[in-house]
Amino acid sequence: MKHEVKKICKIVDELTTLFLKEDTNEVDFKIITQPDRAIVKIVDYNTKYSEEFIAHLKKTLNNQRQSEIEEYYWQLAGETDDDDELTLISVMIDSATVEKRDGNLYIELVRINK
Amino acid sequence: MAFANKIEERDLHKEQKILILAVFPLIFLIFGVLYALSQGANLAQGMTSIIKSPTTLITDFMVVGGIGAAFVNSALIGFFNLYLLKRYKMRINGLLIAAFFTVLGFSFFGKNVLNILPIYLGGYLYARYQQIPMKNVILVIMFSTALAPIVSFITFGGLFTEGFSYLMGLLTGISIGFIIVPLSSHMIRFHDGYNLYNIGFTAGIVGTVITSALRSFDVEIASVNLIHDQNNPMIIGLLVVLFVYLMGIGLYTNKDTFKLYKTIFKYRGRTITDFTSLVGYGLTFFNMGVLGMASLIFVLVLGGVVNGPVMAGILTIVGFAAFGKQPKNCFPIVLGVLMAGIFFGYDFSSTTFIISALFSTTIAPIAGAYGPIIGVIAGMLHLTLVTNIGIIHGGINLYNNGFSGGLVAGFMLPIIDAFKRGESRS
Repeated sequence: MKHEVKKICKIVDELTTLFLKEDTNEVDFKIITQPDRAIVKIVDYNTKYSEEFIAHLKKTLNNQRQSEIEEYYWQLAGETDDDDELTLISVMIDSATVEKRDGNLYIELVRINK
Repeated sequence: MAFANKIEERDLHKEQKILILAVFPLIFLIFGVLYALSQGANLAQGMTSIIKSPTTLITDFMVVGGIGAAFVNSALIGFFNLYLLKRYKMRINGLLIAAFFTVLGFSFFGKNVLNILPIYLGGYLYARYQQIPMKNVILVIMFSTALAPIVSFITFGGLFTEGFSYLMGLLTGISIGFIIVPLSSHMIRFHDGYNLYNIGFTAGIVGTVITSALRSFDVEIASVNLIHDQNNPMIIGLLVVLFVYLMGIGLYTNKDTFKLYKTIFKYRGRTITDFTSLVGYGLTFFNMGVLGMASLIFVLVLGGVVNGPVMAGILTIVGFAAFGKQPKNCFPIVLGVLMAGIFFGYDFSSTTFIISALFSTTIAPIAGAYGPIIGVIAGMLHLTLVTNIGIIHGGINLYNNGFSGGLVAGFMLPIIDAFKRGESRS
């Protein structure tokens, strides 16, 4: 797919904006690109999100990859800090694990190369 | 934050969702054929007239080919697009529903079974060239048939000798289909997703470039004003039945629809607000029926005629009721258009005014995000722009309101931002 690296950067941009604005002042991102997939690992330190909120976040991110929406709208990700684009992120990834441990929020996003 | 709600509703398979949508072209086909037969109209002749028309704004197919042929044209295009959705195994999400109803509606004025095909071919060639699946681009291509009139204009506008004009029309359509995907993806950043008809904005830019090029060769695209001017009770009755059907499907899918409907009001509507994944298919179909009925009542209260352009306006609203539009974010925008209409002395019953009001809901997310007062101002600004920008692209962009909506959103958002203080929380 075209602009593969840029799309991963857009996902990171969107989530950086979201967590720094909404939840924390310390966040780690680790991006791993493999031949068949890209993995984005996020640690949102000292999260204030509730268990209910995290369950919602997990459900939303695991919606389903939808390439036709991604092709059309991917440039919107990370573009504004007035609103979030979690639905857009969800159509750009294949799976997400979201869990809270020791007061931190751990997220792992997997994007399969197509 | 736009989270998905916990949804407890009847599970609909993909085939069932396609069948629910297929009822519209099926009813249109039956209605079109029966109407033509009852009037003694020649359907084939009507279809030929529609196909051979230059179709630039505003060419109402109910006038060009007759009511029966206009409905048959819409039905055939509807079936063609549903076939593509099934062929490419598309998930029936809110945006696809919006695309389907937009194409269905604009098949009453501007899109015909011939002028859309080169654009699909261009999209197919783009997908092959980029080595990506066709299903990735089909959505954009469905919307991009907004520029179908340029294919008709070049083919049947008398610019070239017959035969050569077919080749030129074909090449123009293919070129549009080839370039529209990257263009539309890029243009969305101008309005940050606050203009729902993004392809309308993109097609406005493309149309402006093409029209300017034609004018450089002293080719002027003459404005057209072919509008069906008499209400037909059977068309109104048909729409009422179809909108009640949508509400019924909503209630059947989710038995708590009445109780839960207000949850849809909390969504701002900015792209991407896919109601099918956020609130489920039951509430989505119900919202489509509600907004369809509200649009129809609005047109009749203003004394308007349900003709081709108005059908397009109503059906586009119905479609985007699955992808961002709900009564709360649409109302301030339409109110703004009405207030500007009073101020500038517009005839409320004229088709031009009515379609401006209907399509103005393209910027409903502005009202959803920034409140009713900003929404009213955006609606007023929209009317002033939309009545003046058609001349720029010479009427070859069917989504003229999408072009205007993009300009309004792109103009207003930085100004709204300038007046905000500190960090805002979403």
